Amino acid sequence: MFHSKVFPFSAIVGQENLKLCLILNAINPGIGGVLIRGEKGTAKSTTVRGLADILPPPFSLVTLPLNATEDRVTGGMDFNRAIKEGKKILQPGVLAEAHQGILYVDEINLLDDHIVDIILDAAASGMNRVEREGISFCHPASFMLVGTMNPEEGDLRPQLLDRFGLCVEVVSEKDPELRVILMEERERYDQDPDQYRSVHGKENQTLAEIIKQAGLLLPRVKITKPSRAFIAELCSTNNVAGHRCDIVLEQAAKAHAAWLGHTEVTLDDIGIVAGFALFHRKRDAAPPPPPEPPQPDKDELDKDQPDKNQDDNEQNEDPEQTGQENPGPPDKEEPGQEGIDKEPGEMETPDKNQENAPETGGDKNPQDPEQVFEVGASFQVKKISSPKDRKMRRGSGRRSRSRVSQKQGRYVKSSMKRINNDVALDATLRAAAPFQAARDIPQGLMVCLKPEDIREKIREKRMGNFLVFLVDASGSMGARGRMAASKGAILSLLLDAYQKRDRVAMVSFRKSEAWVNLPPTSSIELAASYLKEMPVGGRTPLSAGLEKTHQLVNNALNRDPGTRPIVLIITDGKSNVALGENKPVDEALMFASKMGEDDRVKYIVVDTESQGIVTFGLAPKIAAAMGADCCKIDDLKAEALVGLARASA
Amino acid sequence: MEKREIFPFTAIVGQEQMKLALILNVINPALSGVLIRGEKGTAKSTAVRALAEILPQIEVIKRCPFRLQASETGEICKKCVVGDCPSSRDMDCVPETCMAAIKVIELPVGATEDRVVGTMDLEHALKKGEKRVDPGILAAAHRGILYVDEVNLLDDHVVDVLLDSAAMGVNTIEREGVSFSHPARFTLVGTMNPEEGELRPQLLDRFGLCVSIEGAHDPEERVAVMERRAEFDDDPKAFCQRWQEESRALSNKIERGISLYPRVTIERPLLFEIASFCLDVGVDGHRGDIIILKTAKTLAAYHGRTEVTSQDVAHGAELALPHRIRRKPLQEVASDVNALRNQNRKGKAV
Repeated sequence: MFHSKVFPFSAIVGQENLKLCLILNAINPGIGGVLIRGEKGTAKSTTVRGLADILPPPFSLVTLPLNATEDRVTGGMDFNRAIKEGKKILQPGVLAEAHQGILYVDEINLLDDHIVDIILDAAASGMNRVEREGISFCHPASFMLVGTMNPEEGDLRPQLLDRFGLCVEVVSEKDPELRVILMEERERYDQDPDQYRSVHGKENQTLAEIIKQAGLLLPRVKITKPSRAFIAELCSTNNVAGHRCDIVLEQAAKAHAAWLGHTEVTLDDIGIVAGFALFHRKRDAAPPPPPEPPQPDKDELDKDQPDKNQDDNEQNEDPEQTGQENPGPPDKEEPGQEGIDKEPGEMETPDKNQENAPETGGDKNPQDPEQVFEVGASFQVKKISSPKDRKMRRGSGRRSRSRVSQKQGRYVKSSMKRINNDVALDATLRAAAPFQAARDIPQGLMVCLKPEDIREKIREKRMGNFLVFLVDASGSMGARGRMAASKGAILSLLLDAYQKRDRVAMVSFRKSEAWVNLPPTSSIELAASYLKEMPVGGRTPLSAGLEKTHQLVNNALNRDPGTRPIVLIITDGKSNVALGENKPVDEALMFASKMGEDDRVKYIVVDTESQGIVTFGLAPKIAAAMGADCCKIDDLKAEALVGLARASA
Repeated sequence: MEKREIFPFTAIVGQEQMKLALILNVINPALSGVLIRGEKGTAKSTAVRALAEILPQIEVIKRCPFRLQASETGEICKKCVVGDCPSSRDMDCVPETCMAAIKVIELPVGATEDRVVGTMDLEHALKKGEKRVDPGILAAAHRGILYVDEVNLLDDHVVDVLLDSAAMGVNTIEREGVSFSHPARFTLVGTMNPEEGELRPQLLDRFGLCVSIEGAHDPEERVAVMERRAEFDDDPKAFCQRWQEESRALSNKIERGISLYPRVTIERPLLFEIASFCLDVGVDGHRGDIIILKTAKTLAAYHGRTEVTSQDVAHGAELALPHRIRRKPLQEVASDVNALRNQNRKGKAV
């Protein structure tokens, strides 16, 4: 609408890969867009806006707001004309505005999945089909899709990743000289934007001209059979799924050739663009996730990767590595430090634990010394969510679907109940239609609407849950590296909880009592630091733990009945301290079945008992009593789920 | 009704970093805000509210609901569906302007998205077939200070809206096929108690500066806090009058800083110092460099100099970096930037 001034594209320091990817897409829209992955403050938006600024007029930049609703994206009924002229006409949405331009989606991984689906569908087909609110409409929508994401905030689903033609990783410049130049340019711009823009106007024009010429040359660029074979080979050695990668690579290579002004694709062209097409598609022989940047500081995220996990496991089996010598939690790790220290993600050696554990780990000895175990390897967690219900909620987050009482989320149906003036125009008109003949229609309008006609939208969206961790911290958990593995699992769940914007609480039990280590909070950081320091030792008062959790959850439900608690019980189930007169195990089972009666709460029991000759199988019994799912730590892993699906396919 | 007196900014005991960060933002709005992290009862809100008293005046268009400046009119006024200022009807008229103080607008934690973004009166539209817009908090905050108490407790989608307008300087009101945009550039001031949850990284990054504060440990200082508070409660009016002189002096110092800022220069070696600082502690992106530079320049202007010193740079880094230092997932925000840098350097030397 109004043009805020744009930093000139040609004056942007560094980010050559990003610039190249954008230019190639401008030359050849057939490439299918760019996904920009990377940290904050690396000129992602500036570069995209800068490019849009130099492209010829029909090329406009449309930014999708983070809070856009479905009707805003696809377009909805034009109510002015519906009422004034009595016509059903589509008011164009973001997709129509972006036609023949750039659609820029900042933080695409934070958008509602169904909106991402709509956008990618339109991007792939070049058409926007609207079949909603009583309108059926179709209009061309071919645009260059540019998305940005910060992987810390959660990844995109692989299907969605694949839809982006190219993917480029941006990092900040490490060369001080470049950083200084960058600051200088920025200051110069800020001091007098207009002056600065006019200084760089010429370079921008030259660049725009080259892009235009390359676009004209593109149809004449040829690709030879050996070059195609090279592309095919690249794709197959990187184990990409499907053929989209081959096609994208060919288009990108052609654009690159045109960019350099030749009419035949060379192997160099292919080599240069291959990285961008393969980045998000290449897979190891095993399951798919995209490779994380090899940054030492993001190691913990790297643990999500299967190959990395394997490394860890290897390390864990390495008897040289002693964990026991690390008394208590290590000093706070310094963030900038290049992973020299042992990372919290690295698992304690189970072997060593085992050596010490048999004496200390036995539940019989109440004089157990307390120990603090390291946090084990973390991993990508599979999807956990509560079942759908009909309750209206307010809130935000990204875990479970719920009806919402705010103007957000997907319009699923309409209702006569008036809550928030979120009018469903289609339903309102339909409700009013039968009475039009009998009503006096006001001057200048075609329809007469009365308050009783008005229908409101019922919407649905994802929301965060309340995750309660009930952690068994008794001596038996110390054995066989169970605690390290459990802590790793909890840490993984916490990372997941951050991305889904959950609230968390933590209860632990050992010796003869249970404690609320962490009252309900949104501070996942706090939870993680408590987890790191959680001591282990003593007997197993499971029923006390259950009772405490029950209290905590009930309090939360009393305060806000809309809360959806998910309780994760991490234990081997070997209860040996009772609150009352009954046998400890019986008492725990009794509590469990009582707690299971409340269907507002979802329980998941994570059984930490390792497979052996003698297993007690008590955790599954508790789970059965609760009507809860029971799983092993490994079952929580996202890869396990993929593996399962594969096996059944 | 008599005007309620506000505790004067200059009378706040201690909390120098916080006060400084706020003042720097007044001098240079390009610093884009402060995040104040700290426990309860540390004069966070008092300081932000008191800021209103010492803010300079800006030129605004008369009766404009969006507090536009003369250069911003045009396209938007043609489509304006709120105001009754002459420029919304007559395009050729030169809009009348007046001077008005910069405002501090508070965004309550429970605010709904509607309240923040602004709403379209849909019922009115359905009945009469015409649009009517009720501007929200973001409209009011344009060119002013947007204060969010407990910013970490904001609903996620309100955060989304804030991020959008902070990034683009534009707020869009959209309902059912109606869309209206207006400029919304503001200095974001947030307070939070970290125990109640962290901010999302993108929002964190939007705050130019970050200060951590705690209650005073010195008994003498604590006594001074109590005394001043009691004095104020006793007779607010007299108290404010007593501090008027100081407030005026500060206002003048700020205004001098504003006029001096464009002339502040920095030598190249100091730019290298900034770059190496960021590289040493490890920050994401380049916003850290840019904000340190701007902070250092603003500091120089505030102290009446036209030349940035290395102390300015060090001080700027202290204010601009704590929340930008790259953290492992689930790690807490750093407290002492300089110590961290030295430690990292030592680590590298070994």
